[in-house]
Amino acid sequence: MGSVSLPRPSLSLSKSINSQVSSTEVAIIGAGLAGLAAAVRLAMFGKKVILLEKHYVVGGLNSFYARKGRKFDVGLHALTNYPSPTSGKASPLLKLCRQLRLSIDNLKLLPQSHSRITFGEQSLRFNNDFQYFLGQVEEVFPSSMNAFLKLLKKMEDFPAYSVHAEELSTRSILRDSGIDPLLGEMLLCPTCYYGSARPDDIDFPTFIMLFDAIFKQGLSRPEDGIRAILNPLTEKLKEFGVDRRMNSAVRSIRTKGDKAKEIILESGETIKVEKIISTCGIRETESLLQESCIEPDEAQTGQFSIIESIRVFKGHPKDLSWDETVVFFNRSNRFVYDCPKGLVDLESGVICLPDNYGTNHQVEESKLRVTHPANFHKWSELSEAQYLKEKNYWEKTMLDNALSYLPDGLEQRDQLHQRTELLDTFTPKTIKRFTSHINGTLYGSPTKKRDGSTKYKNLYLAGTDQGYVGIVGAMLGGIAVANNQILRAG
Amino acid sequence: MDKDKVKQIVLDIIAEIAPDEDLNDVKSDVRLRDQLDLDSMDFLDIVMELRKQHGIDVPEPEYRELESLDSCANYLLPKFEAGAAA
Repeated sequence: MGSVSLPRPSLSLSKSINSQVSSTEVAIIGAGLAGLAAAVRLAMFGKKVILLEKHYVVGGLNSFYARKGRKFDVGLHALTNYPSPTSGKASPLLKLCRQLRLSIDNLKLLPQSHSRITFGEQSLRFNNDFQYFLGQVEEVFPSSMNAFLKLLKKMEDFPAYSVHAEELSTRSILRDSGIDPLLGEMLLCPTCYYGSARPDDIDFPTFIMLFDAIFKQGLSRPEDGIRAILNPLTEKLKEFGVDRRMNSAVRSIRTKGDKAKEIILESGETIKVEKIISTCGIRETESLLQESCIEPDEAQTGQFSIIESIRVFKGHPKDLSWDETVVFFNRSNRFVYDCPKGLVDLESGVICLPDNYGTNHQVEESKLRVTHPANFHKWSELSEAQYLKEKNYWEKTMLDNALSYLPDGLEQRDQLHQRTELLDTFTPKTIKRFTSHINGTLYGSPTKKRDGSTKYKNLYLAGTDQGYVGIVGAMLGGIAVANNQILRAG
Repeated sequence: MDKDKVKQIVLDIIAEIAPDEDLNDVKSDVRLRDQLDLDSMDFLDIVMELRKQHGIDVPEPEYRELESLDSCANYLLPKFEAGAAA
């Protein structure tokens, strides 16, 4: 019998891929800012690290994309914690630059011009000088000033930055503080939008951290957007030999007793681990474990998501006499921060004119970004055709609605439309795609675990569900878990 | 290896960790924390860099031995000498 020995490359190859086993000291799930920062810290000191990312770009919620040759940032309205002359060395941004050996000068931070919180007819303005904001509060709420100063003292005395900080309700503290209820609502608006996972409230430590980050320190934006942070981090990953795997979704985490043993990837590959840092969220980690990861109960599932529309227009916002950077607005005197019943809640929102960071007004085109709360489930239920139709409808509605909160906005509507080059929108479904967060949540679960510990000895949480929010918070959270849970242990 | 060399090694590490600090007038007998803007994260980095660059291990309960340049020199010199002898 004439037998021919045929090579069977495809079979043996696929078999070797699916049953491949590798091992590492630390596996990090998620290449968002927390995962990137933790990976850099650990690899810097010689730990063997595998960084796993489901998506094909790094950054998670703070990522970027391109449309028609233009670059867009997903999450970045503002980098908080600006180290202004008045806040100086207190800014955690400087700490994180030191920890990651980044030069703050390389970020080329452009400070905000000034920003505003508007509720009905009442407005409070702020810039990167906290004294100016105090003056605004005194001018608009003179009879609240004593109570407000007492509140500030209480906030300073509260151990907000400790991992053991009690997660009190900010709404009830504001109610008891004796300040004008409207002032309380106006303080909740920017702090909730920049980092609350709780429906219609924010826990007190997070409120304090965000108040400091937004008002006491301030807002800025790197000249090159989020890439100015992501690029140096990914270069460091290369330099320190981190095994970075894109398009590498995790299927499950296998445990034995109180330890995590292996990560199984969607590709079938097995990674044996000594330690895991999961940044994908507490509920998302529970679904990989197929059981709860904290005692005694499962974590809560977050609901809050957003829709954001962007109008790219010719010229600079100053051509339309718009000189503000961020405007937080609410139609009435009562701020509601919750998952809306319909697709979008127009009652409150955030406008960002990113070209009003810095002083360069010689630009060919600018952006107007408008953000509103949105309902993930409603958006997910739509057929593809309905989705596109609703997206187009809300894009126009949101961008036009925002004009009523900008100086002479409605009068300049036609002019703005004539200048328009491009509209683009991302919905809760887009956020889900970038972050893999259940329900496309912006800030994850209302259950937070500040020290990152779980009921498994060698599995730690970092990032959003650690409870340190924003770009600076996420990175410091990743650094803290790397330092305290892994590097200190030797 | 002598105490002055050990102090210089520690100062070099601090310069790397905190390039924005002025290290020209650091007093040997004053706590580093009291004359420079260093926090517990920075002290962890001094420990980590000692291990990475010089193979010296400082266990966590002994981090406080690094509070001033003098105490660094007293505590680290025997470790450097033991390392050189080995």
